[in-house]
Amino acid sequence: MTSQREKAVTYAILGVFSLLALLPVVGIIFTALQEPGGAAGFGRFDGFHLSNFQRAWEQGNFGDYLRSSGIVVVAVVGVSSVLSIMAGYAFGLMRFRGSEVLFYVFLLGLMIPTEAIIVPLYYDLRDLSLTNTYWALILPQIGTSVAFGTFWMRAFFRSVPSSLVEAARIDGASSWLTLWRVLLPLARPAVLTMCVLLFMWTWNEFLLALVMVTDESLRTAPLGLSFFQGRNSSDLTLLAAGAVIVATPVVVLYVFLQRHFIRGMVSGAVKG
Amino acid sequence: MSAVRFSDVHKRFGGVVAVSGLSLDIADGEFMVLVGPSGSGKTTALRMLAGLESVSDGEVRIGDRVVNRIAPGERDIAMVFQDYALYPQMTVFQNLAFGLKRRKTPKPEIERRVKSAAVALDIERYLERKPGQLSGGQAQRVALGRALVREPQVFLMDEPLSNLDAKLRTRTRGEIKRLQQEVATTTVYVTHDQVEAMTMGDRIAVMNDGVLEQVGTPEELYEHPANVFVGGFIGSPPMSFFTASAGAESGDTRLRAGAIDVLVPELDGLPAELTVGVRPECAQPWDPQAGLIGPVAGEVAWVEALGRETFVGVNVESGAGGDPTQVVVHHGGRATLLPGDALEFGLAPRSLRYFDAADGRAIAIRR
Repeated sequence: MTSQREKAVTYAILGVFSLLALLPVVGIIFTALQEPGGAAGFGRFDGFHLSNFQRAWEQGNFGDYLRSSGIVVVAVVGVSSVLSIMAGYAFGLMRFRGSEVLFYVFLLGLMIPTEAIIVPLYYDLRDLSLTNTYWALILPQIGTSVAFGTFWMRAFFRSVPSSLVEAARIDGASSWLTLWRVLLPLARPAVLTMCVLLFMWTWNEFLLALVMVTDESLRTAPLGLSFFQGRNSSDLTLLAAGAVIVATPVVVLYVFLQRHFIRGMVSGAVKG
Repeated sequence: MSAVRFSDVHKRFGGVVAVSGLSLDIADGEFMVLVGPSGSGKTTALRMLAGLESVSDGEVRIGDRVVNRIAPGERDIAMVFQDYALYPQMTVFQNLAFGLKRRKTPKPEIERRVKSAAVALDIERYLERKPGQLSGGQAQRVALGRALVREPQVFLMDEPLSNLDAKLRTRTRGEIKRLQQEVATTTVYVTHDQVEAMTMGDRIAVMNDGVLEQVGTPEELYEHPANVFVGGFIGSPPMSFFTASAGAESGDTRLRAGAIDVLVPELDGLPAELTVGVRPECAQPWDPQAGLIGPVAGEVAWVEALGRETFVGVNVESGAGGDPTQVVVHHGGRATLLPGDALEFGLAPRSLRYFDAADGRAIAIRR
């Protein structure tokens, strides 16, 4: 039992942290809605100016950037998810020689930052004539995403009662069928959480896009936003509107999958 | 239906020996219970039969086939798991039909078998429910149904009742036994509960530390345990033991162990030192007219009143200043005894069991 005082303190602490988290977001949205060309800040308010979004969209060429980001993110999340599910299943539930060593090799993808590999990666992709193509954005990100995805899905498959897999084996199901028919329906929260995380990370990837593509039509949204910032350093309302446009897809996805996301994050922490 | 045979089967996990030299024949249609404490190797033996663990050495046969290298799905077995292992996203019907679909059973046949199993187990009402919407008892019956519809050569059951409450466990025990007798399918049932073993098995295999200690009917195991372990494991309360010296006295034998000094009539050929086993019902409060030997005086250590009968743990001085020997005494009806009270009891001479003091093996007696 918690006393009234404890409850009040808890709410106060949570309130402060919520405020800290929300303040920048509210600030950006608020700025994006201010009078065009006006000074940003909470100090003054003269109504909402939704036209900022339209102007930012047109001037910043965000339609193209979002399309590029969409292509990259769909390819990366789609392929990485399928590969991660299969690799996680193998590492989680199959016994094979060298599995431990191989798993640590996979984990290298999680441990090595993009900054450390970006230069050699650029030369490799250039030798393969893949720079300045979507492949230069998609393939490396599939590599790093599969490292995390495998780690994530392996943890999930290890938490599944082994008797379920054994029952399927006795019922005559192959490994393939056991994965897709028996285990995957149970893995939905874990898979959706992984998809949201991969989506977020892929969507926000900046350095790779900056180094690998020069063609404007291939620029992703964060890169486009950066160029947009360079061109509009004085108009903060437009910049804020651009930032909101770029961030919206991730927020929308999170809102739609929020229930699964939270369940996926806490699964294993408490008995369901 | 098929017979099952383990021939000198070993299972090692790295340096740990889980099963050692298991040889066991299970007849076609027999209900065999593997019983033993945790870590005795009974579940490992079952899992080797299921194909869920490899066999390190030896041979496992189902019918005429050596199944060591045959995948679980091709062994024509069905297994009921301790946690039921029902597929949570499928309905009860789909759970029951899953194994049959994998075997390309025609749809009308699947429906017939599922329906028939559902009727036999009284789960028709739940066919469209998912496992999460079932109680423990219902889920248990669905798990049994999933095994039943397969009409396999052998049923394997791994402590299927351990998650049920005591009342439901007793009822389901009878239900499983009835179903097994109806379908007459060879069944291997693993449990650590000797009451389950005694009430369900046609024969019981007692395992300890990976070794098969004894196989026999419940009566054989209870009346003629092969060693101290089996004597102590089978029966509730368990057999009491004390180490005694034996001396021949003109065709009779005198047993001495501290305060215990009894003359067992018409008994001969015992070694000078041995372990004596006493079933609770063979030790009763002293009555000179009851044909008992004794009396033996002791102090009540605990009283377990079950209503119709009472079991009394009696500490008897063991001599040489050692810990007292405890003998469980059976008292018909209610006993007005309290811990600390003095109690005299006698032993039924023909029911005493004798074991080698060194290796614990039963001693064949001449009367």
